[in-house]
Amino acid sequence: MTTYPGAGPVVHDPMTLPSDDSVNNYTFCVELKGSQWFLQKGKMIAYYGSIDFNGIGHGRLDRLVRTSFHSPLHASDWVVAEGSGKMLLADRAFDVNSYDLEEGNLTIRSGNLLAFQPSLALKQSIVPGFLTLIGTGKFVAASNGPVVFMEPPIRVDPQALVGWADCPSPCHHYDHGYMTGLMGGLRAMTGIGGASGEEHQFEFVGAGTVLLQSSETLMAEQATGVVPHEPGVPGGGGAPTGHPQQPGAPRLPGQLGDLQRRFGL
Amino acid sequence: MLAIDMTGDAVKAKNGSMVAYDGQMDFKKLSGGGEGIRGMVTRRITGEQMTLMEVKGHGTCWFADRASEINLVGLQGDKLYVESSNLLATDSGLRTGTSFTGMRGASQGNGLFTTTVEGHGQAAIMSDGPAVVLRVSPQFPLTVDPGAYIAHQGNVRQSFQSGVTFRTLMGEGGGEAFQIRFEGDGLVYVQPSERNTIAGDV
Repeated sequence: MTTYPGAGPVVHDPMTLPSDDSVNNYTFCVELKGSQWFLQKGKMIAYYGSIDFNGIGHGRLDRLVRTSFHSPLHASDWVVAEGSGKMLLADRAFDVNSYDLEEGNLTIRSGNLLAFQPSLALKQSIVPGFLTLIGTGKFVAASNGPVVFMEPPIRVDPQALVGWADCPSPCHHYDHGYMTGLMGGLRAMTGIGGASGEEHQFEFVGAGTVLLQSSETLMAEQATGVVPHEPGVPGGGGAPTGHPQQPGAPRLPGQLGDLQRRFGL
Repeated sequence: MLAIDMTGDAVKAKNGSMVAYDGQMDFKKLSGGGEGIRGMVTRRITGEQMTLMEVKGHGTCWFADRASEINLVGLQGDKLYVESSNLLATDSGLRTGTSFTGMRGASQGNGLFTTTVEGHGQAAIMSDGPAVVLRVSPQFPLTVDPGAYIAHQGNVRQSFQSGVTFRTLMGEGGGEAFQIRFEGDGLVYVQPSERNTIAGDV
């Protein structure tokens, strides 16, 4: 066959492809030996061997879904790959990385999760738009630019946050010193007089790891399904939550409600 | 970005893809991709239009297109099949043409025809993210998502697989309803991203 003069690309075949590891920064290779993997619909780009892709409504897979999936509401976005061979996964040329969880938990933005082993359980997070993986196993996540791991205590930009592991304390943080008073309120509302755009952050404390992407471009949100309409469930009461925006989310400039509250109206 | 050093020789490149050059260069539009009247008519009919230019001169010329990744493919008398939209540049010694792809083309959303490049030399193809080159051999056939396929070369048979079942119609498909299977001996280039195809949603 063809040989490559100069610095040609590396040619992969089933022997040289890694097993459950990255091929390059943008492609991940999964080896299946009669085992199963969950992946988001349409993220397989190529495979060797014989692999079946079944939607999670498949009768035979019901048991698997029961053990690994605890939010049946968004199960239709996921596919079970089973068979034997090597399969390549990629997502819109975003960076992909694999992570190992050992008896741990990790919460991740729903659009970033690409694939995971069925030994992990996927649950909807209380934080809307996020999913939580619990257990032991490997999962693959996509991000806009390489992922950086940080130790709490840390405050992060909402757009750069990919997920967090083992630290159950994400909360909002506002730079109030800067934003108080009439002038501060006006500044926050209009942006005139120097709003830095960084007055609002997410704060993490405690032991754990925070995952950040090195870009502030969010990946498209993946629907996580609606939560039960019950009092006390964030995002559950009131308006239907197609949009994961929360009460207490960053106040948009131009909203008058904020200023009214400031004046005690 | 692709840099080509030239000493009086010529390359064919996608029209308007030059971003910089030093030395002395001449740019000439090649009507119909330099394939003559017949090639021009074929391209017009098959919808595989590509406007190429011939770059000739001494020095270095840099080519790029929409910040996509560029992959170099070496050809030794074999044939490269690539979508015209993914072809950036070829050595001027390489012949380009069109060929029928059938259902595969339709499932990729790229039309029923594809561009072929053959001869001895190098071609530069573009992809969204660096392409992964996968070898197809008789004992290891390869299956590819139509949206991620960009090119292939060598003596490869391709067949179109459809996994459309009643489940797909119920909206419970596996998300991979259409696939192309490659058998034989050759190389297949896939990109880590999927074009929007009808197959992507079912």
